[in-house]
Amino acid sequence: MRGVPERPDAEAELKKAHLLAWSSIAYICSTIVLLFFVMSGSQALKTEMTGEILSLIPPTLFLIGDRVSRRPPNRRYPFGHERAVSAGYVGAATALLLVGVYLLFDGGMKLAMREHPTIGGFPLFGQVVWTGWLGIAVLLWSSIPAYFLGRAKRKTAEVLHDKTLAADADINAADWQSAAAAIVGLIGVGFGLWWADSLAAVLISLEIIRSGWTELKTALGDVMDRRPLTLDQKTDDPVTDKLTEFVKRQPWIADAVVRVRERGREFTAEAHVVPLADQVSVEEISRTGVLACGVDPRLADVTIAPVKSLPDDVARARHPEEA
Amino acid sequence: MLRHWPVLLPLLLIACGLPRDPEKTSERIASAHVLRVGVTDNGAWVNAKHAEPSGIEADLVRQFAKRIGARVLWSSGSETSLAQQLKHHELDLAIGGFDAKTPWKSIAGVSQPFAETQDKKKHVFLTAPGENRFMLALDTFLNEHMRASKGSSA
Repeated sequence: MRGVPERPDAEAELKKAHLLAWSSIAYICSTIVLLFFVMSGSQALKTEMTGEILSLIPPTLFLIGDRVSRRPPNRRYPFGHERAVSAGYVGAATALLLVGVYLLFDGGMKLAMREHPTIGGFPLFGQVVWTGWLGIAVLLWSSIPAYFLGRAKRKTAEVLHDKTLAADADINAADWQSAAAAIVGLIGVGFGLWWADSLAAVLISLEIIRSGWTELKTALGDVMDRRPLTLDQKTDDPVTDKLTEFVKRQPWIADAVVRVRERGREFTAEAHVVPLADQVSVEEISRTGVLACGVDPRLADVTIAPVKSLPDDVARARHPEEA
Repeated sequence: MLRHWPVLLPLLLIACGLPRDPEKTSERIASAHVLRVGVTDNGAWVNAKHAEPSGIEADLVRQFAKRIGARVLWSSGSETSLAQQLKHHELDLAIGGFDAKTPWKSIAGVSQPFAETQDKKKHVFLTAPGENRFMLALDTFLNEHMRASKGSSA
């Protein structure tokens, strides 16, 4: 199947990922509606609601990206459409970052202006309840299911090597932190500490900025063909080293530089190789290319380019980056 | 007992004095028995031409003051000056035919509606910002009034 790693469990996981994305969207919409009703004068709840609206972006991008990236290559897009998701992600992450900065400013101003949040009563079943308590109930609903949803997505993301889904999982899993901040803020307001609300809002906006920044880094790295990283973006993915080792081990190859790039869920690689002898058989070259694809299930294509000596810029791909 | 907790829990919290007023409006009213109300003239809602204002909202305020055991200290002014006085906690309450979409909601607290007119406007009181315990008492009172008047008109 195009656009899915060649693993026996991948197609089932893709179905599961779709189900998870759709349930996330329905679930997030329910929390947005509930938050809207109990928001009243609370800056923390307003910030949390904006965060929830933003967290609709990753599952939506996943669903759109999954359709678009599977389109086959054509004259206009000769390399296929796998990069569509990365492109979308640059935009979404920028939006996340900007909204985070806006909310930080908004909350900070309220704190500086010593604005007291007004949170009054809410008519419910013939009684009037303080809206703050209802806000806490809604925040619990917005965080506990999200935590488990995030964990389920994480596993699926690993199998599919899908960064959109991984980022989505991270956002869900981190959501309990901002919900907890908002709950503490509301309890603070309940105790007459007016500043607790804006302070919680500032903390939540910092969390939005943080996730916007990490996602922007990931997305820009993808677009710039950075060396593939593992899904958590912390260490180098072993695929580059494994492939280099495999190519260098071929009996007809003297030296090689392998450059791997990530395109959506897939990897493609170019291997510049210096053969031992002056004559190489076409048979040998294509066979190496096909075998190299088997090194990792995520490798969609490996181009073998025999050269007399390594071009300068290609050889530089071995150099460590200058700090 | 357990199935009553959604009702009992809020009551328990109120009994513990939560939510509290950051500027202690409820405590002050409980000890000094004075409710500071600003009025601005607006048709049948408030007639502020006399020292003792009359009209639908003025009557409601007197009922509310009786409920919380306070007498009303009236003062009148323009909408702008009332909003500023609320902001600086020089007033507890302001009336003058405000509806839920009032532009003053960024400065002052907006209560639950006590009436809805034919033009779909929800009529409210304005309060000093962030005095949430006082607000809750007012909202409870106004909501009772709203439900009672709906019941009588239906």
